[in-house]
Amino acid sequence: MNPAAQEILAVSNLTRIFGGLTAVRDVTMTVQAGEVVGLIGPNGAGKTTLFNMLGGSLPPSSGSIRFAGTDCTGAPSHVMGQRGVSRTFQITSLFPSLTALDNVRSAAYRTTRAGWGAAILRSPAYRREEAELRRKALEILAFCDLDHRADTLADAMSYGEQRRLEIAIALAAEPRLLLLDEPAAGMNPEEGQRLVEMIRRIRARGVTVLLVEHHMRVVASVCDRLVVLDHGVKIAEGPPAKVLNDPEVIRVYLGREPVDA
Amino acid sequence: MNTNSHGQPLAIAGGVAALAVLPFLAGNAYLEHLLVLWMLYALLALSLNIVIGYLGELTFGHAAFVGVGAYTSAILSTQLGLPPLLGLPLAGLVAAAFGLVIGYAALRVVGPQFAILTLGFGAILFTITNHWVDLTRGPMGITDIPPMAIGPLAFDSARPTYYLVLALVLATAYLCHALVGSRTGRAFLAVRENAPLAASLGINVFHTKLMGFVAATAIAGIGGAIYAHYIRVITPDIMGVHNVAALIIVVIIGGRGTILGPILGALVYIGLLESLRVAGPLRMVIFAALLTGTVVFLPGGLISLWQRWRNAHRSENTQPATPTGLPSTEGGAK
Repeated sequence: MNPAAQEILAVSNLTRIFGGLTAVRDVTMTVQAGEVVGLIGPNGAGKTTLFNMLGGSLPPSSGSIRFAGTDCTGAPSHVMGQRGVSRTFQITSLFPSLTALDNVRSAAYRTTRAGWGAAILRSPAYRREEAELRRKALEILAFCDLDHRADTLADAMSYGEQRRLEIAIALAAEPRLLLLDEPAAGMNPEEGQRLVEMIRRIRARGVTVLLVEHHMRVVASVCDRLVVLDHGVKIAEGPPAKVLNDPEVIRVYLGREPVDA
Repeated sequence: MNTNSHGQPLAIAGGVAALAVLPFLAGNAYLEHLLVLWMLYALLALSLNIVIGYLGELTFGHAAFVGVGAYTSAILSTQLGLPPLLGLPLAGLVAAAFGLVIGYAALRVVGPQFAILTLGFGAILFTITNHWVDLTRGPMGITDIPPMAIGPLAFDSARPTYYLVLALVLATAYLCHALVGSRTGRAFLAVRENAPLAASLGINVFHTKLMGFVAATAIAGIGGAIYAHYIRVITPDIMGVHNVAALIIVVIIGGRGTILGPILGALVYIGLLESLRVAGPLRMVIFAALLTGTVVFLPGGLISLWQRWRNAHRSENTQPATPTGLPSTEGGAK
């Protein structure tokens, strides 16, 4: 996909311990710019813990995280956000009492500059930026098939629309790396297919994607590469066709929960 | 999409004009005095609304900052002979400094813990004011505070003071309007709605809250100073629980997170406070019932009644026009 493959994320020996429990142990992995990488594993494998460390909401116990060539180990959430890592959450997470348009506009914080002072003075820079922001927000809503819902409050939307709005929010920050935490959770196969299309279009926008997902059909059809975690340890890595036929991966999955893989 | 903005400038101009002629319609000094109180409470409620409405944090310490501003300007003018006009910005600065220090400590926690911390800090400021007799004259209060004056224009009666506070209310309303339409204000709302999501988008939640808190305390300090120079007597009661409750009631009843809400809430509060004088101490019971009723039946405050009516009205008018451009964008997005 990307000829000049460039490492955007490098995780080495990342470990997170909760009391006596090691949720993530010694995980080393990389993500190349322009890739779509899937992070899979049974429940409790440590996927979300790893995500929380990458997003900055949870400091690692040991190990390091490098994003775009800068060491980001232990950087708080808003710093990771400013550097260009956006994420969605496992449980629907948006700005419920704002309209879809304002959800996206609020989310564009990182890409805007004119603050309160400029707004008080109505400076030309402020007015230009606001007009541009509105145009951009509507474009992102259209990208997520939500343009007809621009004036609808987020908590008045259907579940599927809310999940798409979450992605719109994450895209509004113009991230370099997008972390999607179970975006297909609760979706029917048709919605899952639309999601696959959307992730492909997100990649086409130049955004690198790392996603945690349980739906094997989604994972297999959209990911370039898979990383498999079990009990906090990386047990396999590689192209979907190879990884999903790995006897160890099959044992881990079939031993614990039936999956339509 | 823009259907609501057509009549807006006209409505605002009409509203301002109505407010400007009100003192002439009042006809007597007592009603003019009530108008000043209305505007003062509107100013303080607008500032409190930045914290309660936009940042979504409940604070019980706001009256303490009003008091800090009032005492700052009162002490500067009575003991150092500073012109009250200079005391006004200084009161704002001193209150903001207190807000910065207290906010820096208290905003480490959120929700109920933050509310309790502000209650504690408010009580500390009240106690200090009550007991530091050398500086504040304690419970006796400070008397003979000179009225505010700009050159020959003295704000020594209700009518000029009304226009002064009205100007400040309009300025603050504009500040809030600009805030909500800016990147900063959208960060406020993002933090209120969903702090972890806001942080993941690059918003520093703590700094955002601190900025809003300090701005609110600065305006509260200025409001307190005007109060001091208008009433010309202040006692530590200005920081008391009664005033804390009054400001919260005004914001909640009017409609938090809106600009007209706190102004409307202040009108209802002052109006009821005076018209219920016959009820004596029962007034407070009635206010408590009103607050409870609003929270239960009208969480958006009185202003939400109008918003509801407007929304119903608008959707009636624009129903056929809503789903514009849907098919074309569907194709263009691919």
